[in-house]
Amino acid sequence: MPSITVNYRDLCKLVGKRIESTQLCERLGMLGIETEAAGDELKLEITHNRPDLLSPEGVARALRGFLGVETGLPLYKLSTSGVTVEVDLSVKAIRPFIAAGVVTNVKLTDEIVASLMQVQEKLHASLCRNRRRGSIGVYDLDTVKPPVRYTTTLPDGIRFVPLEFARELTPAQILREHPKGIEYGSIMQGRPRYPLLIDSRGVVLSMPPIINSEETRVTSNTKRLFIDVTGEDERVANQSLTILMTGLAERGFGIQSVAVKYPSRRVRTPDLRPIRHRLSTRATNEFIGLNLKPKGIAKIAKNMRYGVAGIKGETLTLLAPPYRGDLMHEVDLIEDIAIGYGYDRLKPTLPKVVTTGERASVERLSERARRVLTGLGFMEVMTYTLTNPHMNFELMRVEGEAAEIANPVSEEYTIIRNSLLPCLLSVLRANRRNPLPQLVFEVGDVVVLDESIETSARNVRRAAAMVIGEGAGFTQIKAVAEALLRELGIAHEVRPIEHPSFLEGRAAEFVSDGESLGIAGEIHPEVILGFELGHPIAAFELELKK
Amino acid sequence: MDLHATIDGLSFQEKKVLLALQELGGRAGISDLAGHADLDQSTIMRAVLALSEHGLMGVREKKSSKAAILPEGLEYAHDGLPERKMLVTLASSGPEAVNEVAAHANLSEERNQIALVWLKRKGWAEFTKRDEKTVLAMTESGSEALSQKSADEKLLDLLAAQARNVDELSADMKEPLRTLVERKLVKVEEETWRELELSDLGNQALKLGIKLVEEVSELSHELLTSGRWREAKFRRYDVVAPVTPAHPGKVHPQQQVIDELREILLEMGFVEIKSNMVESEFWNFDALFQAQDHPAREIHDSLSLSKPERTKLPSPALVKRVAAAHERGVAGSTGWGYKFSVDISQRPILCSQTTAATVRYLASHPEPPVKVFCIDRVYRHEKIDYKHLAEFYQAEGIVMDPKLTLRDMLGYLKQIMLKLGFSKIRFRPGYFPYTEPSVEADVYFPEKREWLEVLGAGMFRPELLHPLGVKHPVLAWGIGFSRLAMIRLGIEDIRNLFNNDLEWLRTRRMI
Repeated sequence: MPSITVNYRDLCKLVGKRIESTQLCERLGMLGIETEAAGDELKLEITHNRPDLLSPEGVARALRGFLGVETGLPLYKLSTSGVTVEVDLSVKAIRPFIAAGVVTNVKLTDEIVASLMQVQEKLHASLCRNRRRGSIGVYDLDTVKPPVRYTTTLPDGIRFVPLEFARELTPAQILREHPKGIEYGSIMQGRPRYPLLIDSRGVVLSMPPIINSEETRVTSNTKRLFIDVTGEDERVANQSLTILMTGLAERGFGIQSVAVKYPSRRVRTPDLRPIRHRLSTRATNEFIGLNLKPKGIAKIAKNMRYGVAGIKGETLTLLAPPYRGDLMHEVDLIEDIAIGYGYDRLKPTLPKVVTTGERASVERLSERARRVLTGLGFMEVMTYTLTNPHMNFELMRVEGEAAEIANPVSEEYTIIRNSLLPCLLSVLRANRRNPLPQLVFEVGDVVVLDESIETSARNVRRAAAMVIGEGAGFTQIKAVAEALLRELGIAHEVRPIEHPSFLEGRAAEFVSDGESLGIAGEIHPEVILGFELGHPIAAFELELKK
Repeated sequence: MDLHATIDGLSFQEKKVLLALQELGGRAGISDLAGHADLDQSTIMRAVLALSEHGLMGVREKKSSKAAILPEGLEYAHDGLPERKMLVTLASSGPEAVNEVAAHANLSEERNQIALVWLKRKGWAEFTKRDEKTVLAMTESGSEALSQKSADEKLLDLLAAQARNVDELSADMKEPLRTLVERKLVKVEEETWRELELSDLGNQALKLGIKLVEEVSELSHELLTSGRWREAKFRRYDVVAPVTPAHPGKVHPQQQVIDELREILLEMGFVEIKSNMVESEFWNFDALFQAQDHPAREIHDSLSLSKPERTKLPSPALVKRVAAAHERGVAGSTGWGYKFSVDISQRPILCSQTTAATVRYLASHPEPPVKVFCIDRVYRHEKIDYKHLAEFYQAEGIVMDPKLTLRDMLGYLKQIMLKLGFSKIRFRPGYFPYTEPSVEADVYFPEKREWLEVLGAGMFRPELLHPLGVKHPVLAWGIGFSRLAMIRLGIEDIRNLFNNDLEWLRTRRMI
């Protein structure tokens, strides 16, 4: 989950009410925001569905409603800026959408600049999916001469000075040399042309989604901001812009719309009209388990910053603020009503669905296997199913196939085990300093590839036991294997078998209904030495199935 | 303990030692005692240890220096010192050139040197120059020495018979002792020895009377069947004394927590289901209404597979309904609004959430009532450290029934936590991509005096239920199993959930 840092006093100022820090954290928790206080700084965990809370302005806006300081739909005065963005046909195949707006009467304090940078970064990481779906640019409008053109350029088609640099670079050079180019260049990988935002004089504003130009940089003296969001997803571009603009409006700045001219249509952004939703009182009460009246729901909805357009019978018409792009279904509204009601006020009711519990059959067998093996003095161990071919195959002197990880974290864990024996052997290796004899077992799953089934691989539950120490031998382990199968009621017969992991003439296969259950025997000296052990080992591994 | 009982508890050997010590006048060394009681030293030592623990005797450590003869000294004690041999030769030959005396004395070259040095040091002979030759002549004290042994020779004889305590030697032997030590004929060693002494309590016990009766330490088949057990005196054991610990074969600690949780859920009427380690992205994500570009689906979050290369899709109708829910929404939802790819759906992945199993179950059991749970391993793209594992257990369950509410959900969570021993629980709003409303639950952990997040829950979204054909509310909850197990087992490092050190497994108590 994304997290943001806000200043306690700044947040109180934005809320318009001084709240003691512990109480503030408690209230934020009940709003669904986890907090961690460190002195004056609060670290807030924001859930993925609420990008509008990624700034102190957004959090304060929600808190004002929740605390009853200011309820109902937040109203924003949006005037027309007169700025136009002309969209070139060439962007269509590259990064087709743009939304833009203007902010006036700006007074940038350190806190506001920090907050603006933070919300951009957090929106990029979450809603904008690392700038792929959308990327934000903020410029000093007084360095730009509109109309602005959203177009494309060849990789070496234009040169400009990117942010934090002192010299001009071509787009291709930026991707190679600029830190942001290196970080986000993969988005533009293989494209014949790169997106470009340029003003009427030919001054480059930015090369989305990578970097802005130094020339249009925002400074502490900036009076007017030009903001754009370009992207592959128009909804995300619009939503990001709305969140940014309404957040700045919360600081008391003026906000203005921009006309975006696509080759075949014309839109005005941001669109701050509220979104209409219908909410059924019956559904709300059924879902939460309450008995609220429509008016009661309306009051709660206002605390959650909805406007109430009307109540007709049991149905409410709610006006969601424009920054709430997360509302997909009535249940999302119902959750907001539950939050507004207060999770701390919801009394748990005693469950009344009567059913009969039942173990999974494989677990029933496993539990009994554990009882038999612990009764015989074996100690259960639990190992990882993630392993590597060296351990799973080479050290066991066998070849085979196992499920393979495409993006392993380390060379140690690249496949899923298809046998428990190597896992037990590495347990013994880790216990070399403990006294002998050692008796260990594991009951666990391995994965076997099987093209015939839906997932092309299946879990197989196995039990494996191992004895190490002078005198550990076939007779002993066979007796244990037979005791296990006998107690589990698994009928079987025993056949001689040769297996590379076992000593010749000292391995037996257990067969049930013509199918192999597994092998018991004395481990081959090369295997023992391969696991850096120095004493005789006897072991079995058997499938648990009935 | 009263004295009679103490006496009664003494073993045969212990009694024997006590009586022997009395016979030796109440004080003796170990070797004396061993000789007197006819027991070996180690038996004596064990008995002494027990007797002194009972306060019946005291052990005093004494230090002394002992002078003992060395092999070369022993040889001289028999054959005479080299200087005496040469003196005798000189007495018979009269003054003679040194090399000739040496030849006559019949000594080795090395002994010759020794003899000459000591003849001179003892003043038994003197060297004079005559005609370019060194001549050796006996002195007066040399001729005196012929008739009687010198002090060092006497001491050598004494020590040849027996090693002696240095303190016991007379004062005029101190100087010869030093000389002999210097000549490496005798060694002086510090020796510690124990002297045993009856205590007052020991004397009292002896006054009460100690009878020596042959004792039996173990009951045997022979004793039982012969009937001799009736006459036998069974030695009383010190039942308080520690014994070598025995360790049972045990279920692994983490498995014990799994079993405990399973038991609770079975008692609550939940049916257990299992998950697939290898799962398709369809069931792991798509069916859960997690958008195909959701961050949790990215390469650095879950483990995808290169073998098997592909999974099969379930029924085309189901896939179509799920795709529609994503693309344009179902049941009144707007959907995510993107182009769904069945290619992505078929990618195999290591199961990253057990919800894949519960949703699979729902798809085949769309009618109420449903109450199932799953405790299984899930996999994440994590580097293993004290806080993270790449594979770990998740416990998850669902309830489906008409008219279930969010408050019912809280009721289930409260009951599960109560059964796990947490009496204080609080609820907060949460977020999961496939539930709405969602809940996070914290339990109060009195030992640490803090609230810990252990549960996430919610009601499955209609976009998830509708394609599966489920028409009733479904409550879903998931327990952060690792955290729960760490609390239950008192473990700080998450890797210890898979600790297989046998010493650790043997010594930690079952939960």
